[in-house]
Amino acid sequence: MQSSILIITLALMALVAGVFLFVVMSKNSAGTAAKHNKIRYQLISLLVIAGVIISVVSLRYGSHALASSDAVVINVVGGQWWWEIDRETVPLNKEVEFRITSEDVNHGMGIYNSDFQLIGQAQGMPGYTNKLVMVFDKPGTYQVLCLEFCGVAHHDMINEFEVVAAE
Amino acid sequence: MKYEPQAGAVKLTMLLSGTVFLLMMIFGLVLRASQGNFIELDPAIFYQILTAHGAGMVGSAALSGGAIMWYFVGKYTKLNPVIYWLFLGLFLAGVVLILGSVFIGEYGGAWTFLFPLPAISGGAWGVEAAVIFCLGYVLIGVGFLLYYLEMGYRIGKKYNGFSGALGWRYIVNGDLEKAPPPTVIAAASVIIFNSTGIIFGAIVLVASIVNLLLPEFAVDALLAKNAIYFFGHVFVNATIYMAVTAVYEIIPEYTGKPWKTSRLFAIGWALVVVFVQLVYFHHVLQDLVMPAWMLALGQIMSYASGIPLIGITTFSLCVYIKGSGMKWDLTSKLLVLSVAGWTIGSIPAVIDGMIAVNKVMHNTLWVPGHFHTYLLLGEVAMAFGFSVWLVRGKAKKTANNLLERLTFNIYALGGFGFILVFLWSGASSIPRRWAVHLEEWHFHSQIGTVFAVGVVLATAVLVMIYTAGLVRRETKK
Ligand code: HEM
Ligand SMILES: [Cu+2]
Repeated sequence: MQSSILIITLALMALVAGVFLFVVMSKNSAGTAAKHNKIRYQLISLLVIAGVIISVVSLRYGSHALASSDAVVINVVGGQWWWEIDRETVPLNKEVEFRITSEDVNHGMGIYNSDFQLIGQAQGMPGYTNKLVMVFDKPGTYQVLCLEFCGVAHHDMINEFEVVAAE
Repeated sequence: MKYEPQAGAVKLTMLLSGTVFLLMMIFGLVLRASQGNFIELDPAIFYQILTAHGAGMVGSAALSGGAIMWYFVGKYTKLNPVIYWLFLGLFLAGVVLILGSVFIGEYGGAWTFLFPLPAISGGAWGVEAAVIFCLGYVLIGVGFLLYYLEMGYRIGKKYNGFSGALGWRYIVNGDLEKAPPPTVIAAASVIIFNSTGIIFGAIVLVASIVNLLLPEFAVDALLAKNAIYFFGHVFVNATIYMAVTAVYEIIPEYTGKPWKTSRLFAIGWALVVVFVQLVYFHHVLQDLVMPAWMLALGQIMSYASGIPLIGITTFSLCVYIKGSGMKWDLTSKLLVLSVAGWTIGSIPAVIDGMIAVNKVMHNTLWVPGHFHTYLLLGEVAMAFGFSVWLVRGKAKKTANNLLERLTFNIYALGGFGFILVFLWSGASSIPRRWAVHLEEWHFHSQIGTVFAVGVVLATAVLVMIYTAGLVRRETKK
């Protein structure tokens, strides 16, 4: 996931940089005002149309999931500077719902897989419970890192859980 | 020129902001070097420096943007000089409080003062330090509100009411002759959205201060978070939207073609006023208790904000400079770089504003990756481009000497290298705001540090060039 995001981003950044380099090096003037206006409207229309498509598709498939009724509930509490997770093992290939909150300040529950890649996150906030729904399709040890700055030992807030095949 | 803008005060401000940029970059370098394990910092000190770096940089960007906009709006209408000095005085007083709170009071709760962290530090800093930090912000905010009131009043008077200054009237009736110049439209737009932002900021600051002093006065954490990110997002954006007036005013001196107000220009800025205020929801995409439609709005508005930028400022700049045979000196290079950096930086920002992406990029180094692009290679480049122009005008003889070419190239290359490493780190899931990095992440920070050294050196030379120009000007008088 992250590497495709990086590649697409870099490609678009390079495209814009390329346009600037082209414009700066170009010896020919940009032509008539009528011509620019046409290109400008085409560009804006293109951006709008692309935006609508990207928004619809990505919101349709990328938004936060809601749990079904038989999801396994796991309660997570963050505090300065610890994570309390009420289960040590998490079932494989089953929907789980993390209910995340905090005892003091804002924290962020970032879930890292065994390759140390971030696969999901949600905020833990005092007075509120955020519900994060995930399905783990690989067994192994997962780490929980704090992803919301919470004070002087923020970087020490690491815990872990095990994803295991259900008996 | 009809009126004499406050050149002296503006020059002083640019000297101050330029120096603070340099100092804060050295702080940034220290942070990156410590993440790369080149040096060892106590985590408490790391977070204090991080706090100072964030607040100092955002403050300096706002200060330089404010000075630039004051200077150019002053070309079109008289502005009360006393207000500017008040603004500057309040700003500096705020800076003193903030620095005192961080380095004497050991406040390290980050520039975003996310409630209730300032009050619950786990023993790292006292309540007084947090109160003083918040008061420092309040002073800066009051200064800005005075500035905006004065400027809004003056341009409203000159352009037939505030909707005239915004260009909104012109959108409706199409009367080109009476439309204000781009700088005034930009100023009027910023005045609306940033005053709103600052008022929200002030409310949550005052609530935080009351809570710090009387803990039984509770503040809702989610509400505070929304208000803080609304304020923070709008305020940071405003720094660039103020500074871009330098591009509108100076680039025409090079291309010989004035930057004209068109109907589309006015519409674009009208949209900016709306979008900028709705886009902050992308900061709370991982707060799953927020209503889903707000999160969707955050994603859509992030994308939408890019359209006026690309369709208006970026596109027009490209048309103006293409084949114009313009002279490339330090000023023109920095200003063109700034629009390129702003536009390029908006790409990773918009992508991170997508919920699907945000799940795995939020609060990783991807985020400093995108905002350093449009700040370091955007706002700061605008500020230095303007500064050099201030003391020199459009360069004649000194243009393009070796030192200046080298400085620009190192700044641009170092800057892009630096932000690309951040993006790569973000894509490698390295969290932001971590004082101590795991060993497998050190390599990233080490390369980032090398690029940062280049940026710091180039910036030091930029400050020198500006100071030398100031001195030369003054002695000539
Ligand atoms: C040589 C130039 C710079 C260097 C080396 C540098 C370095 C850094 C580093 C290492 C961080 C912390 C990253 C993390 O979260 O782990 C950071 C954060 C930040 N920087 Fe910079 N930076 C530079 C320039 C700038 C400029 C020009 C601006 C704005 C005008 C800026 C604004 C910020 C802000 C707002 C933060 C966020 C602070 C926070 O997370 O609380 N930086 N920078
Ligand atoms: Cu934390």
